[in-house]
Amino acid sequence: MTDTAHPMLKYLKTTGPSGPRLPFIMCPGCGAGQVLNYTLHAVDQLLAEGELQKKDVVFISGVGCSSRLTSHYLQFDSGWTIHGRSLAIATGALLANPNLKIIVFTGDGDAAAIGGNHFIHACRRNLNVTIICINNGLYGMTGGQVAPTTAAGAATTTTPHGNVEDPFDLCRLAETAGAAYVARWSTAHPRQSVKAVVKGIRKNGAAFIEILSQCPVHKKTDPVEMFKELRQITARSTDAAAMASGKIPVGEFCDIDKPDWISRYQRIIDQLRRQEDHSCTV
Amino acid sequence: MYRLNLNTAYCKGCGICIEACPKNAIASSGRIDGKGHVLPQEGDMKRCSGCRLCELVCPDFAIALTEDASTKEETDEDK
Repeated sequence: MTDTAHPMLKYLKTTGPSGPRLPFIMCPGCGAGQVLNYTLHAVDQLLAEGELQKKDVVFISGVGCSSRLTSHYLQFDSGWTIHGRSLAIATGALLANPNLKIIVFTGDGDAAAIGGNHFIHACRRNLNVTIICINNGLYGMTGGQVAPTTAAGAATTTTPHGNVEDPFDLCRLAETAGAAYVARWSTAHPRQSVKAVVKGIRKNGAAFIEILSQCPVHKKTDPVEMFKELRQITARSTDAAAMASGKIPVGEFCDIDKPDWISRYQRIIDQLRRQEDHSCTV
Repeated sequence: MYRLNLNTAYCKGCGICIEACPKNAIASSGRIDGKGHVLPQEGDMKRCSGCRLCELVCPDFAIALTEDASTKEETDEDK
């Protein structure tokens, strides 16, 4: 890799059996590529600091635009799995090898709609995964239909006169369900997103990071305008005046230490092993 | 001074790097390429502080910033 190439290209498969894999399949200005870039910067930092081993990092995704980011492109162990069930597959991978650091890429439709139950219970269990939810507020891959995260009043292909429903606040859901680390940023908060992913990977337990993203194709807007808008419609959750004016809160909502799923399992396994050893010697 | 290396095969001309650059060192080329994209190009690179935000925000891994040692400005310490 020459120094005139992007520093994160070392983690990407530029070619495959059927020819070049890059440029990305994503539409021009799609936020999913940015989120992958932020995540790889965070992983790169942790690998450089020796906190992570490349062999322990596993990326898992489901179905949707966001889920194209894993096995097709990444030079990490990764799984491009079934719609909404990426967290179930992450659970299986963790049971097979509890030392894995699993990063799940999911979209808002994948996490909140079809995978809603898996998402809630992964948070409740405090499962040792970092969930990165790329929220563009619609179903991008299937044609821009309304999603559970579409803002009230927003026009989509299936709500041409405006959405009559209120959106899901995934961060509040994750926090209430029991995740140890919850944060929301947008693609227009690059440095903050990288820091949040670093913290999420370090967290022992479930870390949920929602990154608000842009879909310029289905919103029929210029990516730059959407990028600017993401800065304008969001504000720090600590800014009471901005919250009162209806801006979307961004920042860290929850950062607590609580027993994680794997160590609780391990405790029982160790206990039973000790009992078994004892009964064998008698 | 820094140089902006653009992979024209990967870049889709979304323009997010131009918007994100805090120093306004990246400019639009204003020309439509063979795929219908208007790619960015080096603007006033003297302003570039090397923060590498353009590399970070690029959705297509198309930008790389390199430091050109031969054109590095002399500071008082170097003299």
